[in-house]
Amino acid sequence: MPNQTSRRDFLAKAGFSAAAMNLMMNLPSLRAVGAPAAGGKMQRLVFIFSPNGVIPAHFWPEQSGDSFELKRILQPLREFKSRMLTLHGVCNRIKGDGDGHMRGIGCLLTGIELFPGDVQGGSDTPAGWSKGISVDQHIKNKLQANPQTQTRFGSLEFGVMVPERADTWTRLSYAGPNQPVAPIDNPYQMFDKLYGQSKNKELFASVLDDLVVEFKRAEKMLAVEDQHILQEHLAMVRDLEKGLKAEIEFAKMRSSAGHAIPKLPPNVDEQNDNIPQISRMQMDLMVNSFVADFARVATFQITNSVGQPKMRWLGIDEGHHELSHEPDSHESAYEKLIKINTWYCEQVAYLAKRLAETPEPGGGGSLLDNTTIVWTNELGKGNSHTRDNIPFVLVGNGLGFKMGRALEFGKVPHNRLLMSFCEALGYPEKSFGNPDFCADGSLTGLS
Amino acid sequence: MGTIGKGHLLSVALLINAICAERIFCQDKAQIELLSAEQSALMEHGEKIYLQKCSMCHGAKGEGVSSRHPEPLVGDATVAELTKIIEETMPEDDPQSCLGKDAAAVAAFIHYVFYSESAIVRNRTPRIAVARLTANQLRQSLADLYGHFGDTVEVTDQHGLQGTYFDGARWKRENKKLDRIDPTIDFDFAKASPVDGVQAKAFYISWEGGVKPDVTGRYEIVVRSTCSFVLDFGKIDRELINNHVQSEGQTEFRRSVYLLAGRVYPLKLIFVQRERKTEQPPARISLGWVPPHGTEQIIPNQNLLIGDFPPVFALQAELPPDDRSYGYERGVAIDRIWDESTTAAGIEFGQIAAVELWPSSRRRDSGDDQRAKLRSFLNELVTTAFRQPLDDSLRKLYVDQQLNSEPDDGEAIKRAVLVAIKSPRFLYPALDRESSQSQRVANRLALTLYDSLPSDQWLIDLVRKNELETDLQIRAAAERMVEDYRARAKTREMLYEWMNLSQVAEITKNSASFPDFSPELVDELRQSLDLFIEEVVWSKRSDFRQFFQADWSYTTQRLEQSYGPGWRPRENSGPKFRKTAHDRQAHCGLLTHPFLLSHLAYNDTTSPIHRGVFLIRYMLGRTLRPPAEAFTPLSPNLHPDLTTRERVELQTSPNECQTCHSKINSLGFAMENLDAVGRFRTHEKEKAINSAGRYTTRKGDEIKFSGVHELADFIANSEDVRQAFVNRAFLHFVKQPPAAFRRSTVHVLSDRFVRNRYSIRDLITDIAVTATKEN
Repeated sequence: MPNQTSRRDFLAKAGFSAAAMNLMMNLPSLRAVGAPAAGGKMQRLVFIFSPNGVIPAHFWPEQSGDSFELKRILQPLREFKSRMLTLHGVCNRIKGDGDGHMRGIGCLLTGIELFPGDVQGGSDTPAGWSKGISVDQHIKNKLQANPQTQTRFGSLEFGVMVPERADTWTRLSYAGPNQPVAPIDNPYQMFDKLYGQSKNKELFASVLDDLVVEFKRAEKMLAVEDQHILQEHLAMVRDLEKGLKAEIEFAKMRSSAGHAIPKLPPNVDEQNDNIPQISRMQMDLMVNSFVADFARVATFQITNSVGQPKMRWLGIDEGHHELSHEPDSHESAYEKLIKINTWYCEQVAYLAKRLAETPEPGGGGSLLDNTTIVWTNELGKGNSHTRDNIPFVLVGNGLGFKMGRALEFGKVPHNRLLMSFCEALGYPEKSFGNPDFCADGSLTGLS
Repeated sequence: MGTIGKGHLLSVALLINAICAERIFCQDKAQIELLSAEQSALMEHGEKIYLQKCSMCHGAKGEGVSSRHPEPLVGDATVAELTKIIEETMPEDDPQSCLGKDAAAVAAFIHYVFYSESAIVRNRTPRIAVARLTANQLRQSLADLYGHFGDTVEVTDQHGLQGTYFDGARWKRENKKLDRIDPTIDFDFAKASPVDGVQAKAFYISWEGGVKPDVTGRYEIVVRSTCSFVLDFGKIDRELINNHVQSEGQTEFRRSVYLLAGRVYPLKLIFVQRERKTEQPPARISLGWVPPHGTEQIIPNQNLLIGDFPPVFALQAELPPDDRSYGYERGVAIDRIWDESTTAAGIEFGQIAAVELWPSSRRRDSGDDQRAKLRSFLNELVTTAFRQPLDDSLRKLYVDQQLNSEPDDGEAIKRAVLVAIKSPRFLYPALDRESSQSQRVANRLALTLYDSLPSDQWLIDLVRKNELETDLQIRAAAERMVEDYRARAKTREMLYEWMNLSQVAEITKNSASFPDFSPELVDELRQSLDLFIEEVVWSKRSDFRQFFQADWSYTTQRLEQSYGPGWRPRENSGPKFRKTAHDRQAHCGLLTHPFLLSHLAYNDTTSPIHRGVFLIRYMLGRTLRPPAEAFTPLSPNLHPDLTTRERVELQTSPNECQTCHSKINSLGFAMENLDAVGRFRTHEKEKAINSAGRYTTRKGDEIKFSGVHELADFIANSEDVRQAFVNRAFLHFVKQPPAAFRRSTVHVLSDRFVRNRYSIRDLITDIAVTATKEN
């Protein structure tokens, strides 16, 4: 573990006390730096959600097996063709309350019905929240329970322009029954969560010199017998300054090793037209958080089920959901939907690329070697609202599946795929979600 | 004149040393009260001899006499050593004239009164000490720094929430069926229609108004709802609980929030029953809370206010508790934990400023240059935080420099806020000596009355126009500020500390003896006391004596059932809490209030000792030493024939107990007509109650009374009670010793209190005005 040694050496050379050293070594963001846990391969899992179904004819490869052609929508991933899997024939079979979109997103990672409730969409019965935990949170809990795989956050839930509305259509992830997890869709807010503490320390250290001057000025404004309180305060501030500066020196050293606190572009408001920029900022933050080993599970939710982004940057003025209801015969809508889904795929490709070009800290290879991205959707196809053939495209080598193939499963319940994820992470389950759909066990043929 | 054994002398010395080692804060010889009768007699004897034989050379207070013995009489010799010196050498012209007991008496006297180190500390002229903001002052200051950018809160006496009822599951003007004031939120509509004209199957109710907590601290807000609801709290659109989606199995929602007393948190609760194909749950909703030191209750009517209220910020960061060794909070501890907590506070405030203050400011301000707007916003923020206008160098440091080092607006705000909050100019309110007099007066008034900084536009305008210079101007401003909710909250806090009731969480009684003394009853008693106190203080007369002489109380149906006809409401109908009829037999203000009385009692029996200590320490402001050792009260079962009075007399009969208990018991016994839950009684164990009691005042007058009515009349007009109250109020509001302003501050304020017919409001105004007069 070269990093650990050099860190201790550096601190020792810089003349820090043992106590100060311990303090720094225990900073949560530092603990993470280093090789994958002893005895196990580093594994990360990312779910990317995009809404409203796809255009199957331009999405699914026609062939199956390891020689297949990427259709238009998947073209952005061509660079990763040998590291991807398309899983056709995986179906969300969950019935019960809620409209197709609600069950589409609410049962996608949970594999279980929604509670009865009062939120009504379309012509189906109304529903509430999911009755169970989602697979990302389940795996996070397993990883967090093991000291070898425990990280500062366990999981991170990213969003891009998710409406400020807590309802079944805007929640993908569940910590348990009736416990939806809200994604953070503001990159600045995510930044605060990830780096707030370090950033604030840096900020504080940078203003300390000014404060020292101010304390001295203030002292002169008091009677001699009152000055002691400010002197005491100043002495403490100086003490603090020393400690903080050392910490920051150390952080700088760390940043030269590739663990820099990222810099976000300033003043990017949460607006439809900023979606491309927000998506990149969020993905960059995710990559950084993996480098720092803040979490090994992430969800990345682009808008929401029934999402209405207007992709004006592609020359499309209509909202996505509205377009997704148009019949296939509506040529211009059809073409726009292909473009929209291609744009989503570009996001997946961007993340894959960032992961592929970022070295795994403390180990050989890249982040993508130890990360699997699962790109999915609440519907198979927008205008039919079918939850058969849910889009599942996997990129990267985190789960140890045999990649570079297009697979055909016929019509299997998606619960079995959720079980495969658990199994691949080393935590096989007899069932996940509704057990009625789990009898045949996890999917075969993935590894 | 015989000689005294060495052993005795030594014991005097030890005793006196022990007393002096205690932290003593009184400024005069009233401290001698702490001594036993024997010791004070010794002191008095010593003083007499000293004045006769010593003071011509050493000065009346040991300060020295320039022509004879100029050095002051101070040092670290013990009493025994001093005695020896006196015996052998003093007075110089006749060393044989002060021996034995006389020498010991003089030694004890000078040692205690001016010679010893602890006497010097004790006699030091009290001065106004510079302190940092206390935790509460920091919270309040940040709340006002935030509030500065909104409207001023108007005081209202309209309680409850504004309910608006719509037919159908959404807000639609034409479907509005009813506007009404709901006293509290606790509804079970079941499957029926909530109000006429609204169908049971689908409705939309909005409740709006404000919540005013009485106590500062961590609350749990509890909503129980079977249907969809969204609760905005602190600011409309600041969601505290979002249950937009009603989902089976989820009906209880709790959120922990730190709230400040005297702030009105705007609130909006939207409750929706939606029509659906599946079965509907019955519609129920309640809005409750668990206050600090309290138990869960529906948010009471008196804490709900009708009206539009500006947004409120309450710091959620934890702050370490402050030093209370002087009996009031002082910001004197400077340590890392405190420092880190102020950093956390600065960061939290920076975030809220960036998210909530800046956007509205940006809209308000005209002009196009975003950065110029931001500069002016930060300038206003820092000016308010520092309680003084910024000169060029300050503006450069606190605004320009911070702004220039951050391109992102949000980050720039966080940075500037952090520097400002960590600055001594914010943390030490006393650093305003270079400001104008009006500015300093406004700063003192806000600190005294609100524990905060000047933030209201009217006050800032007075500063700008330099109109806080004359006594008349200052008093007018103080009078206006006293009416504010913030000052009212601080007053309430003071009164609860005065009654020693701030920390009382629950009161329980033996359920076999007092079956109806339920938690609900205690809750109603607490509210009844709250309402009583509010009424006494904030009614027009604001007459302090009413605390003891009011012949009425606030009652409910339950209280009437439990406490009898004296607790029957004056009016037959009306709100849940109504006043009782005037009944001098049943009510002597606080002294007959069952909340206080049941708190000052055991599970089954009264406790004359608790009641006596309450009176002597809190009401009369006298000092009591703790007992030499801890005693367990005698069990009533061991003495089945004795009344409580007899049992207490028996247990405290030894001489060493009687020094204090003769004072304590004789006050507590006067309340024996009120049982362990505060109900009137004439007999205990078939013996008539003996409620005779007495008290010796500070001036030495012996007062006798029988029963709580005579006791109440005495307390209401007692000089000791008045001075204790003035002193406590002063310490609570100003957080500096009264004598630091003027030796006679307490006497002057106390006299004015009498002249103003005991008006509590006027007293607080007087205290605030006094606090502006520091030199």
